Amino acid sequence: MPPRSSKAADGLDFKAISKQFAKAKAAREAREAQEAEAVAKGLPTEKEQTAILEAQRDKLNKKRQRAYERRWWWTTGFWTFLLAVHAVGLWLFSSGFLLTRLVLEDKSSCAAPPVEGLAASQAALDVQKGCWHPKQFDRAVVILIDALRYDFTIPEDPAAAHAFHNSLPFLYDTAVKTPQNAFLRPFIADPPTTTLQRLKGLTTGTLPTFIDAGSNFAGTAIDEDNLLMQLRDSGKKIAHLGDDTWWSLFPGHFEPNISKPYDSFNVWDLHTVDNGVIDNIFPLLESSKDGQWDLLIGHCLGVDHAGHRYGPDHSAMTAKLLQMNEFIAKVAGSIDDDTLLIVMGDHGMDGKGDHGGESDDEVEAALWMYSKRPFFGRTSSEFAIPPATAKIRPVNQIDLVPTLALLLGIPIPYNNLGKPIEEAFAGQKGNNWANLAAVSRLASAGIERYRQSYFKARGIHQTTEPGSPAALWELANAAGLKDKDAYDAFTKFEDEALQVYKGLWARFDVPRMVAGVFVTAVGLVMLVMYASKPADEEFVVANDAELDYAERRLELMNLNQEDKEEHPDQGYHRRLLGGLADARVLFVVGVLVAVGVYREQPLDGLAALVVTLLITGVISSLSTAGKTLANILPKTFWGWLSVILTLSHSIGFASNSYTIWEDSILLFFIATFGVAVLISSFRIESKIDRTMAIYHTITFIVIGRLASYSKLCREEQMPYCTSTYYSSVTSSTSAPWQLVIPFAVFIILPDVIKAFLLPSKSYESLAPTWIGYAFRGSLFLSALYWTIDSANNGGWLAERFSESTLKSTGVYLAQTILALSLIVGSTSFAWAPPNISILSTQAKTGQLVTILGYGNAMGARYLYLPLNLLAACILLTKPMGSGALALMMWQILCLVEIIDLNQLKSEAIGPVMLAVLGNFYFFKTGHQAVLSSIQWDSAFIPLFSIRYPWSPLAVGLNTFAGQIIAAASVPLVVLWKVGPKQRGVLEKSARALAVFIAYFAVEALATMSWAGWLRRHLMLYRVFCPRFMLAALLLLAMDLVGVLVSLVGVRTNTMAVCEVFGWVE
Amino acid sequence: MSSALVKGSSAQATDTKPKAAIAAVPTFNNALSKGVSFGRVAVLLGLLAAQFNELVAQPALTLQTAVPVVAVVQVAYVVLCLPAAGSQQAKAAKKPRPGEKKKPEAAGTSSLVTALLALVLTTISTPVIHALFILFGAPLLDHVLETFLCAAHFALLGVFPIIYARGVDNQSLVAVAGVSAPLDETLGGLLGAVLGAWLGAVPIPLDWDRDWQTWPVTIVCGLYAGSCVGSWLSGTVFYGKRIGGTAPPAKEE
Repeated sequence: MPPRSSKAADGLDFKAISKQFAKAKAAREAREAQEAEAVAKGLPTEKEQTAILEAQRDKLNKKRQRAYERRWWWTTGFWTFLLAVHAVGLWLFSSGFLLTRLVLEDKSSCAAPPVEGLAASQAALDVQKGCWHPKQFDRAVVILIDALRYDFTIPEDPAAAHAFHNSLPFLYDTAVKTPQNAFLRPFIADPPTTTLQRLKGLTTGTLPTFIDAGSNFAGTAIDEDNLLMQLRDSGKKIAHLGDDTWWSLFPGHFEPNISKPYDSFNVWDLHTVDNGVIDNIFPLLESSKDGQWDLLIGHCLGVDHAGHRYGPDHSAMTAKLLQMNEFIAKVAGSIDDDTLLIVMGDHGMDGKGDHGGESDDEVEAALWMYSKRPFFGRTSSEFAIPPATAKIRPVNQIDLVPTLALLLGIPIPYNNLGKPIEEAFAGQKGNNWANLAAVSRLASAGIERYRQSYFKARGIHQTTEPGSPAALWELANAAGLKDKDAYDAFTKFEDEALQVYKGLWARFDVPRMVAGVFVTAVGLVMLVMYASKPADEEFVVANDAELDYAERRLELMNLNQEDKEEHPDQGYHRRLLGGLADARVLFVVGVLVAVGVYREQPLDGLAALVVTLLITGVISSLSTAGKTLANILPKTFWGWLSVILTLSHSIGFASNSYTIWEDSILLFFIATFGVAVLISSFRIESKIDRTMAIYHTITFIVIGRLASYSKLCREEQMPYCTSTYYSSVTSSTSAPWQLVIPFAVFIILPDVIKAFLLPSKSYESLAPTWIGYAFRGSLFLSALYWTIDSANNGGWLAERFSESTLKSTGVYLAQTILALSLIVGSTSFAWAPPNISILSTQAKTGQLVTILGYGNAMGARYLYLPLNLLAACILLTKPMGSGALALMMWQILCLVEIIDLNQLKSEAIGPVMLAVLGNFYFFKTGHQAVLSSIQWDSAFIPLFSIRYPWSPLAVGLNTFAGQIIAAASVPLVVLWKVGPKQRGVLEKSARALAVFIAYFAVEALATMSWAGWLRRHLMLYRVFCPRFMLAALLLLAMDLVGVLVSLVGVRTNTMAVCEVFGWVE
Repeated sequence: MSSALVKGSSAQATDTKPKAAIAAVPTFNNALSKGVSFGRVAVLLGLLAAQFNELVAQPALTLQTAVPVVAVVQVAYVVLCLPAAGSQQAKAAKKPRPGEKKKPEAAGTSSLVTALLALVLTTISTPVIHALFILFGAPLLDHVLETFLCAAHFALLGVFPIIYARGVDNQSLVAVAGVSAPLDETLGGLLGAVLGAWLGAVPIPLDWDRDWQTWPVTIVCGLYAGSCVGSWLSGTVFYGKRIGGTAPPAKEE
């Protein structure tokens, strides 16, 4: 093993360097004196010569600075291109995957029916008689049997029957025997077939999408117009038994004393919920309970759970269905004449008993309506017997909404797209066409009203060509139509309108998703090629002042020749982007765009093609520059470790378990790296270095474990996880004892940072003021802010100060801290001198000049930048999180020390570990990859009300604090313990940043691929989709932070350092 | 491994000079030793297989009962197969290297005494390994007994043979900790145990609801399999080879 003595001399023994420097200086002075003597006889004087040299040096410095600035702009240009590539890839995939629907705030009201001029006989505009249509039933009982597939309810030949057949015959039998009392029809769900999404559809009458872009993005409660809201607003009472999903969707809607929610997530328990419903429903059906409820919902989960646990073809399913059969028969016997009984499934189940996707078995549920008095009719005798399969005469689930609304005499919810179910309005003889036409006209008018406002709100152009909803609406409203024809015309309009919306909202656009994955994958190849280590790269940290001096003299002597020489990397980024300016590429892109625009091709395919072409151009430039595809393959242990960590993290996203336990996995990665680097540290030859490396490594691992105690568990981690982030499970405020943490941070953290700067003598110049006073001061103010916040929440000072006084004190305090850390901090960062100090001492040989902090001139000064961000993030994070972020900074400093001591600066592992740390601390600051963990209240830390763009920025800083600090710290890996004369700093930093971004790009690519592939998975909307959204947002955020903070920071830092020491390249 | 790490970090010996190469630990070249070496792997894996159901049902009790059995197996193995630290055989292996400093021979050090001493040191190393498990994310306050017993098994399989063969010689232990010593049965057993236990953690988060996912069954299985395979491979195929790529020396100037 070669010795590492040179390293020790360079990196640590600063006094020695300074001595060498001074020695060199003294020698030069002596030499210059001699020269001056020699040339004093007639030639230019020493002063003149020095002046010429100075002028030349200035010229050289200026030239180099300009060259650096050009290089920097080209680098930034390349990164902007990268950002654009990522944005296009994510846009393509998201537009195919995350179909959004705008939630309209409008509500239907009893007094304003969508059709004008209704006769009083038709519309009483009074809830007692029925708002828009005469009321038919006083009350309704809705039994929702979760996952009741249609074929469970119809008879099957016993020879071919499975366990789920012929066990629930009551529905079919009553529909056949007493068709005027009951009917049974297939009930088609709109995917996704998960209970939560289905309940939205069944109550609002609209098609659910993953994101309903409305005012209530943060919560799960439904705030658009729905059946339950209309009932409540009409003064009716709703009782609920069973699945507690209803309670999160409709908080405050249910009668508290008679309703009973049950936990819905325990899939292994087949009976608790059902028994709860069965035991509690019959007392409510007694006539003595009249007036206590108008709508009674019973949501049974046994069938669904039996499916999840055993699959449908199992004796447990038979038993469950038999129990349901008996239960429904008993309920049907218990209701009175004016009560409507509805039994339905919210979705079906696939062959394994799971659901969530859009296969036939999953969407085909059953609907059965029952009335004690004869009420239902069939418009044709063929319809007397319930359909044999779900393909015949199906009803859409949303059709329940107008049907139930009209039967109970309440307004149809505003967003409804369903149409009335024929049997319920056709009259007992099945020929009441006037009634059918009337209700159909009402529902259609509602749909048309919604269509007008939606298209207006969205700014979508409507076509009026034949067959479009607009044209069909005109046709249906034509005068002189017979009732039956009018009914048919309205039905046609309703069907067509629904198709239009389905096209808009409810389908995955697979080609777009594939295009998105493809563009992201090709972009990733480009990024990884860019990030790969060039075969000839040597990032030798050379902190030798004497050598620098000699080189500088040489340069001055050869100034004229140097003029023609260029920096080796001067044209690197320009050439990369130059691949785009290739005439052939431009020609092909131009033709494509022209043809695409001329033929009105869809934009997505064109964008994918053009971006792929552009990326290919850059890839070929990269290959020419020596970073070939083969160069991606790691060549060292650390390269492999980086690849293994990155890939195993991302491959894990294919499994919901690994996605759910991501925080623990990241801790495992941190410890893994720690052990690997510990082993490596034992190989360091120098005993001091080895001891330091081992010490920092152990600190690194222990801090990671310590930080892991700050956690917020996601629902799926229960019961194996205990949240510590807030004071209790049901609260989002901090416990009083947690206030100790920000004060501890205020006392300890500045000293920790100081301890990292002292060994390289970099705690000089502004550092004591900046870190010891300004940074510490802002930490103290943050601690004060959270104390005031807690006092406000807990009412500790209620007698002395009013709530508004405390709130405004807090807000102004917060604004002060943010101004101090971000505005004053950034300005100071731009102007601050390097962390050096020049010490002159008299020695025997003459004057000794020592430059303290020379060996870490680049890194120590750059550290200010992450510290500024840290101060802001600590304010915006709850007390527990401030402790976590302080530990993160400590861990980052350990990491850069370890990387330096083990000479891993040009390996990928440093930035990869920063990415791991960033993700780890995302979880440690009270977040999870679920929408519900977003801390919206952080928007109100520095503000009284929502203000754009500040509120989203505050929430963004709170959410991504870990990753943002990590991104800002990436150049630190390269710059730490690097002197002012280091060459290639910009390129090395950009490459480190590329590795860091590549980690997030791999995550984004993996999550989008898995989310697209598993789009029928039960956990899509709870696990995979949120993780994809997180990864996508993070990738863009990291790109932005990388350019706007890290690259700008490197530039500012280099300019300030080279201002003092002169430009080295 | 961890015990070795800690000893190395707190060691006082001066070793700033380039290290003398550390030799691999050979096994005795006789039929008995070969048989025992092979038999040990069979016995350990057989024990694990036989007790697997017990282990899943009652991890703590099973691991506790197994500790003395495994200790006896390991003591028998080291005494019969490996040269004790400071013994003639160990020296013989080192002899050909020039510049090696001769140590005064410890009089009357029989292998068995060395083994018992090593066993004591191994016991001391167990809490360190326990701490390492916790650093990787094992529960701190729950399942303490299980974690500790798992660490004890780790120490017996991975650490004990090394202490027996290397003694408390700082230079060798630093070489072992840095994996810069050549591969042999002892180091291979340790590396295998580390890798096996690491991989053993992989199936824990899965929601398969299997009994064997209980802590620390997968870790124990991983470390037994890893240690046996590692020790066997390093004793035969990779004997004497050095892992150069795992650390910076390969790319130092």
